[in-house]
Amino acid sequence: MDITLLSLLLVAGLFGLLLLGLWAGFALLAVGLLAMIFAASAPPGMVFATKIWGSLTSWDLTALPMFVWMGEILYRSKLSSNLFVGLAPLTRRLPGRLLHVNILGCALFAAVSGSSAATTATVGRMSLPELKARGYDLGMSIGTLAGAGTFGFLIPPSIILIVYGAATEQSIARLFLAGILPGLMLAVLFGGYVMLWSMLNRDRMPPPEPRVSLLEGLRALLLLLPTVLLIVVVIGSIYGGLASPTEAAVVGVVGALLISGLSGGLGWTSFVASLRGAAITSCMITFILMGASFLTVAMGYTGIPRTLAAWIGEQGYSHFALLTALLLFFIVLGMFLDGISMVVLTTSVIMPMVTVAGIDPIWFGVFLVLVVEMSQITPPVGFNLFVLQSITGRGIFEIARMALPFFLILLLATMLLSLFPEIALWLPNTVFTR
Amino acid sequence: MGGRPAGVAVRRILDTIYAAAMVGACLSMVGIAALVSVQVGGRILDQVLVLFDSAQLGIAVPSLSEIGGFLLVGAAFLALPETLRAAGHVRVIFLLNILGPGPGRLLTVLVLAVALGLAGWATWHAGAQAWDSWAFDSASFGVVKVPLWIPQSVMTLGLGLFALALADELVQSLFGEPAFRRVERGRAGGDY
Repeated sequence: MDITLLSLLLVAGLFGLLLLGLWAGFALLAVGLLAMIFAASAPPGMVFATKIWGSLTSWDLTALPMFVWMGEILYRSKLSSNLFVGLAPLTRRLPGRLLHVNILGCALFAAVSGSSAATTATVGRMSLPELKARGYDLGMSIGTLAGAGTFGFLIPPSIILIVYGAATEQSIARLFLAGILPGLMLAVLFGGYVMLWSMLNRDRMPPPEPRVSLLEGLRALLLLLPTVLLIVVVIGSIYGGLASPTEAAVVGVVGALLISGLSGGLGWTSFVASLRGAAITSCMITFILMGASFLTVAMGYTGIPRTLAAWIGEQGYSHFALLTALLLFFIVLGMFLDGISMVVLTTSVIMPMVTVAGIDPIWFGVFLVLVVEMSQITPPVGFNLFVLQSITGRGIFEIARMALPFFLILLLATMLLSLFPEIALWLPNTVFTR
Repeated sequence: MGGRPAGVAVRRILDTIYAAAMVGACLSMVGIAALVSVQVGGRILDQVLVLFDSAQLGIAVPSLSEIGGFLLVGAAFLALPETLRAAGHVRVIFLLNILGPGPGRLLTVLVLAVALGLAGWATWHAGAQAWDSWAFDSASFGVVKVPLWIPQSVMTLGLGLFALALADELVQSLFGEPAFRRVERGRAGGDY
């Protein structure tokens, strides 16, 4: 069959199946199967079994359920209720004041949970009622949360970077390191925007909060300390080369169990609930990965990624033009697809093209994550929008409008990252000098 | 159809099977955590011993990276049925929300039928792989030679139970509402 026709058929098939509501893992599997039936001489069933067995029995991927579990434990601990009380005194004096709690809270929670929806939901449930009661602008309260909630994908340990690393066979430790500086840069950009906005819109800021005594502030901060320490130990041990990501994740699980056990937030019921929750989330992700790894082999048989890569190579596009095209493509894709499906889909078709163009795969992972973050706040399908809709009861499109400035900041961040690739690459290259 | 005693008994048996598989998945995760803890603990202990000029014990779990991978397969595949019923698997319900209840139900039946076919196909071939590993005595490469048919059978079992759960939901969707739809509807109502 003609390769262009086959490509169109497969793309139409994939989007058709997804739109019908077929589970993402099955949709990827079905399209892979179709591709093999049309274009491969190898028996699809045997290729399927060999490939998914090979790609799922992976030591690096073992980190995934452990990081998910660590997040589930801390999510059920008292950490979430301490978050607002602990962070509020820190931000009282900054322009924009308690709006920064959303950003700091999301950054902190993202570091323990690695999931964007859980970050937005947890921080939002705590901070939105408080901000509303103190008279903060609703659009900014929801917007900062929608934007900062996407941190979960970038700040290590990031589940989506593990998925990317597993799908493209890149070092997860390197990917984690590459995510740190761009994550901090985003936090600074978001915080900067909040300051700027609050200075320009003084009339829309509520009267200053009453002073908090130093002792009270310290006590609140102390509540957050064990969790911050845990994050430092987990990420630091990967950074220092003391532990593999999987080992660090298990240290995180044990630490999370200790913290929530000692602070009295963890009984047998919530232990089982955390385990069950982690099993469900990990199962969902690995199922999509399973479909994607089969699709990747199947696509290899069709030759589509190779042809696409060769074609892009012949056109001689500049990196900038290529990345801009990819960016636009991903933004449109992100309006309809969830982040993990987007990442795995990309890796099966677009990676060869990226490699041919000479783009660093580690850098591309960070770039991809930023784009996936944008997809969380673009209507009609954006997971953070759904979460915020259920917390606030406002419409998807209204929330998306409130989140628009933060979408634009994410766009700015991808541009900065493209102009200065060192933002992502400096740290991993410095740590892993050979 | 829940009124008939036979229906109730079947329901209870199926739910027990899914729950048992979930317990297997959770135990696999606990297994990963326990083995890695022993490994990391052994390494830390050795470093402490070095500080005191004493001999290292060298406690380590042999072939941990392979066994970890096998346990991951157990965790991922055995959780499939319950994840389906808890609406844990990602899908786009954009079209479903636009359609009315009648066409929407038809769509659910269609999607379940396609998924059942694919899950059956996957089970068959995963089973064939496990069978081959058994027939040819394939084992893992590490220090501990784990016969590959054992973890591969667990993978097949998980996929098979997934197919069973999909068939179950398909039947439920013909007579009423399948379990995952109840959860999805609950979410749309703001109960995130």
